[in-house]
Amino acid sequence: MKTPVVSVQAVSKWYGQVIGLNDVTVDISSGIIGLLGPNGAGKSTFMKLVAGQLKPSKGTVNVFGQPIWGNSMAYADMGYAPDQDAFYERMTGLEWVTALARLSGLDESAATKAAARALSSVALSDVSGKRIGAYSKGMRQRVKLAQALAHDPRLLLLDEPLAGMDPIGRRRTIKLIREWAQAGKTIVVSSHVLHEIELLTPNILLINNGRILAEGNVHRIRELIDQHPHRVHVRAAAPRVVAQAFLEYPHVISLELEEGAVVVETSRPDEFYTQLTDLAASGSVGLIDEVTSPDDNLQAVFEYLVEQ
Amino acid sequence: MNEGAQESVDGQDAHAARNRVGRPGFLTSSVRVFDFTLSEMLWSRRTIFMALVAGGPVALALLLRAFASFAWLDFEGRVDGSSLEVTGPAIFGLMIWAFYLRFTVPVLGVFYGTALIADEVEDKTLTYLFTRPISRGAVLFGKYLAYLVCTNLVVLPSVVLVFFIVVPMSGNIGASFPSLVVDLGLLGLGIAVYGSIFALIGAWFKHPLLTGLVFVFGWEPIGTVVPGYMKNLTVAYYLQGLVPHAMPQDGSMGMVRTVLQAFQAAPSISFNLFWLSVILVVTLLGATRIVANKEYVLEQ
Repeated sequence: MKTPVVSVQAVSKWYGQVIGLNDVTVDISSGIIGLLGPNGAGKSTFMKLVAGQLKPSKGTVNVFGQPIWGNSMAYADMGYAPDQDAFYERMTGLEWVTALARLSGLDESAATKAAARALSSVALSDVSGKRIGAYSKGMRQRVKLAQALAHDPRLLLLDEPLAGMDPIGRRRTIKLIREWAQAGKTIVVSSHVLHEIELLTPNILLINNGRILAEGNVHRIRELIDQHPHRVHVRAAAPRVVAQAFLEYPHVISLELEEGAVVVETSRPDEFYTQLTDLAASGSVGLIDEVTSPDDNLQAVFEYLVEQ
Repeated sequence: MNEGAQESVDGQDAHAARNRVGRPGFLTSSVRVFDFTLSEMLWSRRTIFMALVAGGPVALALLLRAFASFAWLDFEGRVDGSSLEVTGPAIFGLMIWAFYLRFTVPVLGVFYGTALIADEVEDKTLTYLFTRPISRGAVLFGKYLAYLVCTNLVVLPSVVLVFFIVVPMSGNIGASFPSLVVDLGLLGLGIAVYGSIFALIGAWFKHPLLTGLVFVFGWEPIGTVVPGYMKNLTVAYYLQGLVPHAMPQDGSMGMVRTVLQAFQAAPSISFNLFWLSVILVVTLLGATRIVANKEYVLEQ
């Protein structure tokens, strides 16, 4: 039998009295696996356990057939983009990714080439000489992906990689992640937005309160989530103009203007995200900086699932 | 060739490059971490604090020199009926001990040494270093090397400045120069030993800065004056034993010796060097071991 790339067996993780993950067993082999759950569900704890940054309180986590905790060798073939927005702000994107590629075992020239290539693949070549501190939220997300990718690992762990990206960056990143999977990488992606996960893969792990609630195809969850209105927070240079454009969409239930942003409630998130991306690409409503989705709609689905 | 296929081919290049180089060894990894973190450390806000601490003795030296130039201070006096002149080399020796070895070096050691890992935890950047195919010990050691370079770059020039400001006051720069070299070596050693102790404290304790300050301003001063073996558990005791040999042997040494009576009982240089080396190695090994096994939970 083929050894799974990631094997999590009866793993629990406590933070003092608080349980982060509760008796989770899952094997991940290849392709893209979406880890879906609301904030505080245990997604990041799961990712950190698989990345060897946390030690299981109970159970075992193996990566490439070896326990990951205390096994630094495994990182030669693993790339991890954590959820935290933390960087060496004074370094340029190229310096940072090159330095981390060197730490991954590449020599100076190979590391520089690999870093330039990784930055190019996430469309950051033109700003690679700029300090990370001056990057936008979307650029920061993408440079995090570049550092995870530069040493060409077989396993990629991407914790909320699309959070805060603009629509075009989001579409590009989704395309990239799918290409990496097609190239043979195993990718675990976490998100609290079903729509994002759905665009990446039909294979999901549903997680809530530290437990895996369901594993497998996304369609049933899709049916459930469609029963709940989906809220999207769009930060834009001209929110009133953007809101006016949204008014023409029949699936938009409500609109709320905030300072520098508009909050939309839609009954058809798929359609909305597609239209939003097209709208941003057309440039007719000015710059759209950031799109985020609060997880209250997903939370409602999870509450429903737990009740079942 | 499409973009995806190009990526794949390029990726194979990266794979091949890594396989060719292999997993970097402990020292190579440490040097790479050192490269990575030196500029971050050097240009941090902490360096401003460090420059202020190291600049204090320089300011004092300038003040003394000004007083001496304008004859506002009398550097001559009488002790036990015989005349005594406090020369520049003697003042310099006293400053090395009182300002640098007993204050600047341990204080900088506390602030930098305890922060080697703590800063990465606080900034949540530790993950990037700990998800590489290098040992966690190499991460700590590389950062420790950066600390050594950083502190030496600030402290040693300050000492050299003080030397050239103070020593010419009734002293001879040429004659005192060998002692400066010894003093610089002594300070470098002090920086290394204190840094390793505070790296251990930083890796071990939840509130390392507080623990480190208690060590510097509580344990060390008390340990060196309490009779018995307690002094053997301080760094200051072993450094004290090296200071007199670094001081100029001129007529004014009597007064300095009187001030620093504790030195008289100091054991041999080799004894002090041996124990300082033991402290350095044991604490560094302890720190790397703790870092290797400790779970760092980065707050969300």
